[in-house]
Amino acid sequence: MKFAEDYKPVEMMIISASREITNGQTLMIGTQWPVVVTMFAKRTHAPEITIAFEGGIIYDDFPSRIPFLSADPCLVNGAALCGDSLDTLGMALHGGRVDLAFLSAANVDRYGNINTTCFGDYVRPKYRLGGSGGACDFACLAPRLIVLLEHDKKRFPERVDYITSPGYIDGCDSRQRAGLRPGTGPYAVYTTLGCFKFDSMGEMYLDAYYPGVTVEQVRENMGWELKVSEKVKELEPPSEEDLRILREEVDPFKMYLDEARANISVFQN
Amino acid sequence: MSEENKVMSMREAVERFVRDGDTVYLGGFVHHEPYAAVHEIIRQKKKNLTVSRCAGITIVDQLVGAGCVDKVITAYVWNPVPKPAHAFKRAVEKGIPHAVEVEDYTVLTMNLAYFAGALDLPFVAAKTPLGSDIVSQRTFLGDDKFKIIESPFTGEKVCLIPPLKHDVGIIQIQRSDLDGNGQAWGILGDSKYGINSCSKVILCVEELVERDVIRKDPNRTIIPGCKVSAVVEEQWGGHPSYITGYYDFDWSYFLYYDEATKKLEGFEEYLEKWVYGVKDRQDYLKLVGEEKLQKLKAGIQTSGQVNYGKYKPWG
Repeated sequence: MKFAEDYKPVEMMIISASREITNGQTLMIGTQWPVVVTMFAKRTHAPEITIAFEGGIIYDDFPSRIPFLSADPCLVNGAALCGDSLDTLGMALHGGRVDLAFLSAANVDRYGNINTTCFGDYVRPKYRLGGSGGACDFACLAPRLIVLLEHDKKRFPERVDYITSPGYIDGCDSRQRAGLRPGTGPYAVYTTLGCFKFDSMGEMYLDAYYPGVTVEQVRENMGWELKVSEKVKELEPPSEEDLRILREEVDPFKMYLDEARANISVFQN
Repeated sequence: MSEENKVMSMREAVERFVRDGDTVYLGGFVHHEPYAAVHEIIRQKKKNLTVSRCAGITIVDQLVGAGCVDKVITAYVWNPVPKPAHAFKRAVEKGIPHAVEVEDYTVLTMNLAYFAGALDLPFVAAKTPLGSDIVSQRTFLGDDKFKIIESPFTGEKVCLIPPLKHDVGIIQIQRSDLDGNGQAWGILGDSKYGINSCSKVILCVEELVERDVIRKDPNRTIIPGCKVSAVVEEQWGGHPSYITGYYDFDWSYFLYYDEATKKLEGFEEYLEKWVYGVKDRQDYLKLVGEEKLQKLKAGIQTSGQVNYGKYKPWG
């Protein structure tokens, strides 16, 4: 196996996060990066995963195009089940049939709480975001939640302004005290700098960093004094073959990798 | 079959069944979004509406920006591109064109609230959204939003979700007969229980079909005609979103909408061109253009035939 040399941080994030998936698992995924991560896993080491989408799709096929959103009509073709949100968020996720879940997030804090609702006061916010969608349900119910976001210091405040999706709340046993079931909650956060996990007190720590990144650089880009694992390690870069599959088979039109989705000229031709 | 003729124009349906101050359910989960109906609501300048909308895209943005809405109950309002819903943001952050109050839910809790609404259950109990600010922060629903108790059966903490019910519900689905027996397929999201939690229903359909078409495939019916007040045949009524089997998502329109509505003046120009400047959906479709519509038309994929069987009379 030959390691790739020329890859982007988001490509490293996608490929590293995909390694959390085991072939045969059932996943519940949100929109944005989780789509690319799971489509990449299907094309590589985990072709037999089943993916549940919040709009009501249970899917184990290969779509005709990379889905733009979790309710992309291309997912209806080839779906194993197409129904209601109660089929997926309800019976699959709340029913305890999901092995792990992936979410994109705007803001994540020290205890893995996610904010996708607002900055500042809730009633009259400085900046209003979209809201939970199904994210809070994922965070409350999924046995193993993996969060993805591009690393930016502003996106890692010590405490989020609004807990859209609960992580370990205030740490210690506050998640259990809130009534959330044991064995649920965030498991890992993958960013464009590295991978973070949670200690027994629910606090996020640096577990691994990407080639070319330093621990110091990660520390400087967090909104609090970040704990670092004694066993912190540098992850291997993607292989040339992994990168080829991601670029040529998973997202050949660079809809996510170069954000071509946001380029109107791509669609006018 | 009902005596009354329910089939009418969008203008008449909105005039007769949407009143100022109503609580309005807007159906569809990205899919099945009633854009044509919402444009007519804006044209008729309905006001003080409470909009209940699980997880849609720019439809709430348009209604809020046009000044029709005082309150929003939702899990998600955004442009799927993904970009902000600019008009919704302006209203929530700055009170432009006027302040709106938002009550945040999650997709699952909203589905359960609609389920409770459709069945008239006093509440349902769930393990979400415990521990979130969706539980702790409330606006206009106050104590009627959620309640956390210990389950009388297991002692574990559960969140009680009371029903959401609506004065009127509107959805754009594939087809119905003249009575409004409405059939939908593809991603259904919250639509089935949502539309069944409404006192009155305006059913917008891509196609009106013969009663036999419905009766030979009744599994696809999500709402019976006896609950429907108005049936509007409105082709392409879900554009720029999609209807499974009819047309694809118009991604470039959402990119255009993002650019066009970033600033207040741009949003007003958008409404002037696409809503106030057209008299109905047919007029709107001329602006979209035949070439674009042809590109968006869905191809054909059918399944093997479904046999419901024929059953002999007794004797």
